[in-house]
Amino acid sequence: MRVTFNTFPNGLIDQLSRLNTQQNGFQAETATGQRITNAEDDPASVRRVLDMQGETKTLDQYQRNISRHQELASASFTAIKQSKSLVDRAAEIATLADGTKSPETLKTLGIEVDSLLAQAVQLSNTKNRGDYIFGGTVPDKEPFTVTRDASGSITGVSYGGNTELPSSEISEKVLLSSQTIGANSTGSGGRGLFVDSASGADIFQHLISLRDNLNSGNAAAINKTDLANLQKDENSFLFHIGTNGVVQSRLEATTAIVKQRSDSLTKLVSKEADADLADTLVKLNQTQTAYKAALQSGGKILSQSLLDYLR
Amino acid sequence: MLGLFGTLNMGTRSLATQQLGTEVAGNNLANVNTPGYARQRVQIQTSITVPSALGPQGSGADGVGIAQLRDVVLDRQILSEASIKGQLSAQQKGLQFAQASLGQQIDTAGSGGQHGIAEEMSGLFTAFQSVSSSPTDLAERQILILKAQNLATQFNQVGARLDNVAAGLNDSINVDTKKANLILTDIAKLNGEITKTEQGAGGRANDLRDVRQTQMESLASLLKFTASEASNGSVQISVDGQTLISGAVLSDTLETFDSGGGKLLLRTTTSQTPLDAAGGTIRGSIDSRDTDLASVRGNLDQIASTLISRVNAIHSAGFSLTGSTGENLFTGTDATSIKVNATVAGDPRLIQASDTAGAAGNNKVVLQLAQLASESQAGLKDQTLSGSYNQAVAAMGQDLSSINTQIGNQDIVQSMLVRQRDAVMGVSVDEEMTDLIKYQRAFQASAKLISTIDQMLDIVMNLKR
Repeated sequence: MRVTFNTFPNGLIDQLSRLNTQQNGFQAETATGQRITNAEDDPASVRRVLDMQGETKTLDQYQRNISRHQELASASFTAIKQSKSLVDRAAEIATLADGTKSPETLKTLGIEVDSLLAQAVQLSNTKNRGDYIFGGTVPDKEPFTVTRDASGSITGVSYGGNTELPSSEISEKVLLSSQTIGANSTGSGGRGLFVDSASGADIFQHLISLRDNLNSGNAAAINKTDLANLQKDENSFLFHIGTNGVVQSRLEATTAIVKQRSDSLTKLVSKEADADLADTLVKLNQTQTAYKAALQSGGKILSQSLLDYLR
Repeated sequence: MLGLFGTLNMGTRSLATQQLGTEVAGNNLANVNTPGYARQRVQIQTSITVPSALGPQGSGADGVGIAQLRDVVLDRQILSEASIKGQLSAQQKGLQFAQASLGQQIDTAGSGGQHGIAEEMSGLFTAFQSVSSSPTDLAERQILILKAQNLATQFNQVGARLDNVAAGLNDSINVDTKKANLILTDIAKLNGEITKTEQGAGGRANDLRDVRQTQMESLASLLKFTASEASNGSVQISVDGQTLISGAVLSDTLETFDSGGGKLLLRTTTSQTPLDAAGGTIRGSIDSRDTDLASVRGNLDQIASTLISRVNAIHSAGFSLTGSTGENLFTGTDATSIKVNATVAGDPRLIQASDTAGAAGNNKVVLQLAQLASESQAGLKDQTLSGSYNQAVAAMGQDLSSINTQIGNQDIVQSMLVRQRDAVMGVSVDEEMTDLIKYQRAFQASAKLISTIDQMLDIVMNLKR
């Protein structure tokens, strides 16, 4: 092919601009550590990375949901455990109150039971972050309200909450509730913590009855009914402690799964988007060498012509 | 026999011929960097022979013409490739703008965030999740409102940017059409001058033809046309079957018109015939606006409208912390008009998260909203909301990536053609310098002939003494 005056400079400009584009690309890859940045770089990979990053965000959110559940579960657990020890003490008192005790002793015990009752009411209205946790989906109202007689003693406790439990996702499509219903008098559905008609648990009523029987010195009634009733309450609390434990261990297990999935996603994103630094640097080096060679050879050829040899 | 005076005359003509040679070489050297210039060569022929007793005798040499070295096939090829390149570049520009408008970049090193709409969409759905796990928490509700506002603003901004790009493409269609009209006027004028020059003095109007070819190449990068050369040297130019230049007459010009919805298309001014530019930047801009950008825009609007209708359908059935119901979370119908309902935005309690009035801890509605993230939508070809958006980004990237490849290939084709043409018509300084020496030496020899004849005449004059 005939090579003319402009063939060299035009060719050199083309080559240099191509090498510059390549250098720019490799430099950007090295600086960011990423193989792809914009959608045009590798559309299919970009799509996958966007999907995976979206999933990572959702997993992060599941982690936050799980933490919230753990917080609620542990708040519930503390209240349930304390209620259980309260029932234990009441049962102890009921056992102590046999026919051998004087009416005065029984009355003294009655005072203690009354304070246990007040404590039970307090526990049933436990709050977490300003919300009542045993009111079902009505966290803004006191779930248990008391009625008192003229002397100020508690004569009844009524439930203002509902039997619904709010559940939220701890992983995709997996719903979980870490709360416990305060009371369920419907006889069906989830078991109530303090009052449950299906299992016969009603700590308030049973404590009131124990107190009244102690005050009236009716040791026989205590022995016959109260002791058995308190046993039902204790069983109810044991059931809920067990359930709470199951929830907590499920949360632990899910945390591990979510974390693992999140880690593997990070790895996949990195595999999809990260530049192979060794490869990129070698290529960058090659391009730089070619660039230098093009400049050097171009400079030499361009500076020479027949004119140098004509006088 | 030429005789002494005849030979003297031959010497003079020879001087003139060799001088012409140096002049043409000089002209080539002067135009070594002129774009579109084709090197010229003096055509030298032996002069008429004179009958003599010994048979026909030569009488020297004359310059009979100045020829241009051009390859018509290559010229034609370069015109058609220029149209393809023009179209691809305009499309590439449009798509690059679209990519920048979406602002969707991958960033794994820094925050690991997705940026753009993808990021804000994830933000909204995680905020729904947060509210579902703490339905009474006003701070979480406030964050949800902020995230919804961020997403709406992001949709608005991307929509506005894409509209701007479309408006910009309309502008370039207008500018390119005006440029094409100016070039058409020039070509018609050049046609006239070429015909006049070639008819008057004869020979070819080389330099005018160079200029016309350069102008035609500029026109080809704007739109595709067919050109045919008439016997008088003029070029007839027609676009999409409509003749625009015939001889030196510019019979029609181009203009843009609104085909509806502010979309500019091309037509002829006089006959108002709509034209298909079929190539060049004008066609590229039209394609980019009506195909590539329109599809990105359409996807975005579809996603926004699905988001609005699905979220509102669920949200409006719920109950707020104050017990109110029936309020939408979003207003608007597409990417441009989407906004967070001002009533809800003003009071986070009004987010309707519960499915029963008076149950503040009930999260059933907001849970449904959170689960919308993984729900496939019939209106989005059974993809999820963010999946559909990611797909729209990938589809746009695919278009741009394929245009990038095509342009890369086109550049190779074009640079090969240009190199081939350069080999035919480019000026080589070495060649011209050699020619200069060649003509200079011949000029010296012709001068020597004249001085020799002069001496011989001197001898003849002295015979009488």
